Amino acid sequence: MELLPQAIVDGILIGGIYITIAIGFSLAYGVMHIIDFAVGEWIMLGAFTGYYLNRWSHIDPMLLLPIVFIVFGGIGYLIQPLIHRVISGKKGNPVLMGLVFTFGLALVFRGSGLTIFGFYSHSIPAALAKNSFFIESGNFFLTIPHIRFAGLFYAVLITVILQYILKSTDFGRAVRALAQHRESASLMGIDARRISSYVYGIYVGISAMTGVLIGCIFSITAQMGGEYTVMAFFVVVLAGMGYLAGVPWAAFLLGLVQSFFMIYFNPSYTLLAVFVILFTILLISPRGLFGRGV
Amino acid sequence: MADPILQVEGVTKTFGGLYAVQDVSFDMAKGSIVGLIGPNGAGKTTLFNVISGYYKPTKGSIRFDGKDISGWPPYRLAHIGIGRTFQIVKPFAGLTVLENVVIASLCRYPKKTEAEAQAWQILERTGLADRAHLAASGLTLAGRKRLEVSKALALEPTLLLLDEVVAGLNPTEADQTIDLILKLRDQGITILIVEHIMRVIMNISDEVVVLSFGQKIAQGKPGDVARDPAVVEAYLGGEVR
Amino acid sequence: MTNTFRKPIVVGIAALVLAVLPTFIHDMFVLRVLTESIMWIGLAIAWDVLAGYTGYLNFGHGAFFGAGAYITAFLIKIAGVPFLLAMPAGGLAAALLALASGIPTLRLKGAYFAIATWAMARALQQLALVLDITGGPDGMRLPPYLHPQFFYYVMLILVAGTFAVMWFLLEHAPFGLKVKAIREDEAGAMSLGIHPTVIKMQAYLLSTVPAGLIGGVYAYWITYIDPASVLGDLVTDQAVVMAVFGGLGTLIGPIVGAVIIYFFKTLFWAYLSDYQVLYLIILGVLIAMSVVFLPNGLYGTLTGKTSGKTAIQKGLATGTPEENSRKQGRKEVVHG
Repeated sequence: MELLPQAIVDGILIGGIYITIAIGFSLAYGVMHIIDFAVGEWIMLGAFTGYYLNRWSHIDPMLLLPIVFIVFGGIGYLIQPLIHRVISGKKGNPVLMGLVFTFGLALVFRGSGLTIFGFYSHSIPAALAKNSFFIESGNFFLTIPHIRFAGLFYAVLITVILQYILKSTDFGRAVRALAQHRESASLMGIDARRISSYVYGIYVGISAMTGVLIGCIFSITAQMGGEYTVMAFFVVVLAGMGYLAGVPWAAFLLGLVQSFFMIYFNPSYTLLAVFVILFTILLISPRGLFGRGV
Repeated sequence: MADPILQVEGVTKTFGGLYAVQDVSFDMAKGSIVGLIGPNGAGKTTLFNVISGYYKPTKGSIRFDGKDISGWPPYRLAHIGIGRTFQIVKPFAGLTVLENVVIASLCRYPKKTEAEAQAWQILERTGLADRAHLAASGLTLAGRKRLEVSKALALEPTLLLLDEVVAGLNPTEADQTIDLILKLRDQGITILIVEHIMRVIMNISDEVVVLSFGQKIAQGKPGDVARDPAVVEAYLGGEVR
Repeated sequence: MTNTFRKPIVVGIAALVLAVLPTFIHDMFVLRVLTESIMWIGLAIAWDVLAGYTGYLNFGHGAFFGAGAYITAFLIKIAGVPFLLAMPAGGLAAALLALASGIPTLRLKGAYFAIATWAMARALQQLALVLDITGGPDGMRLPPYLHPQFFYYVMLILVAGTFAVMWFLLEHAPFGLKVKAIREDEAGAMSLGIHPTVIKMQAYLLSTVPAGLIGGVYAYWITYIDPASVLGDLVTDQAVVMAVFGGLGTLIGPIVGAVIIYFFKTLFWAYLSDYQVLYLIILGVLIAMSVVFLPNGLYGTLTGKTSGKTAIQKGLATGTPEENSRKQGRKEVVHG
């Protein structure tokens, strides 16, 4: 019982990470209607980039985040036209073509990761990883590592910024128009391709940054991508595909499931639990917890 | 009306807060042609989708030959004799014209050889027999619309729902289609037809139902409906969007 | 109409040739290579049945192979069941898995199905790693039955039989037409009396049971299975590449793809075994580039068959907004 608050806090902290993974993913889905199978690999690539940049420059990884965002945002922006070409063939059905393509892309990234980075596991040393907040109150004892708290803060920040961009800027309005009705939006002068490129770039950039953060909190391997792809899928399906407002709830739920399994049960069963929940949701309410998925 | 083949009773369909169709009721007599008209966005397609099983009515019911079929999925309706065409005509690409119809024929004739026999008959009736082995996607628009009707006919329906089968055709093709529709009616098939081309609807319908903003605003013989002030206003007044 | 029998006759002749081959081949290594290539032909065709013909991407295809392998291994090793009974049980296991995973997901858009099957495969691998009865990460070792010719024939009969059944159902019987109708226009197919979920489930079973049976044979043949080899993603990845590269929506396409890719893989691992991970990259590039440049696959492009492209286009629909008027509740509809 004493462990409960810690379990909850841990869950929320991990949940923050999942929010950022899923929010970019859901946004890309909403605008481009593709499910990016490579989401976990973008995270992995970002993590390793952060790792090597840190090793080479000795700059704290938290300060490297913007650089990683810009680099990967640029990569995403440049790759998007290729994806667009894939998904708009003569008889286009975006999601399906995108899926096979991103599946192949994920394979390429994973293979490349293994080739370049090997099978080793690493951790990115961050200044914030050294200490924790300690909260004591009677029987309850909470340990909150600074870095994990920073992760949550980062997640909140990203969410707030995205929210602001989507609601209050012209760009954001264009994005929302595109997500809701692509053809009408194009007819009204919105450059669908450029906006899609930006959105994809933002999504890849955020994912890569999250990878760096994961590298500071946990460890990274070239194989880590798949696990995070599953988590992204889970959160997005639970939240409702394309329904951004549902993401935080679903992400925290996932975080709680994970932390509970880590503290109370056997962590090896986490993936299975996630999977069972995923299937139950698909069975009962495929449009997500809030019924607002597409 | 004695023993109507279709009874639409108080059908309402909402999407979120939007009332696409609101409390629409009408009956269709066996062997009649009923036209469904209304300005854009009046709810005709939605109503069609409710009757043909693609939407469940939020309120109200649909009765077919006395049986309550509200909410029955399209494949169930096909088996009891309700066929429909689609506004956006899309044949099964990659398959021939014949194969397209055979798929429909399988509904009544699960054995492939029998289904093929029936499919040939249908193609003769609708005039597509000479193009049977062509790729369906290679047909002209008129051909594709004809194919749509052929597929629906292969179900041997008692009720046929036609969605814009004449739109987009040149006058000759349109007349041929109208002839076909009348022939089908003479063979005992009841037809509910949505069409934007007024002269078609007014000329062939026994009854016309008018929708506007999701509600039925008029019903009656074509001549009467055309003179109904509410209808005139709906078309003239409602164009400004 | 005699044309329609031409392909199976050609394949039948090829099968006969293959059947006679072992009397001339005495090199056991070559025999094993042939057995494995036949195995991959089977796996690739099986994946294509659901992907190319029906338009649903099963990114967890390998899980059925692995399930078949593990159930067969378990029955042989622990329950002492003879192989010829244990192997069909592997197929049954795959069928049960298909039913359990298909019922929630086949009525949804293909995107959900791809995600769910992919996640299921990972979860299954995790399960095998964690449980004791599966031997955990060390896997299971079976009593060896070292008769390469026996396994060659078993694999040949199994895959040839699978091909025959699939050819009959997909190219000859009404089932194939219904499946293609769903792939092309699910909403339209519904209006013609076709129950999409039922047909999709049948296709799913048709796709997964052979994979399970093949897995069962594999287990007894190789005598050692572990989560990495039979439940890892390499099985799925290769089957996908073989089918996509070879040509989706046909039965010959995956055969072509399987032979080419497997041949390439064997050469690769013989001469470049230091660069094994490079193989993953190559697979991924082949998949991605096939989608971009050769959506009908090699066989499809060379013979002008176009069903592959449509297959890649179907099924995982979100339905663009103009199709909203044809959606029924949760059922989304494809429209080119």
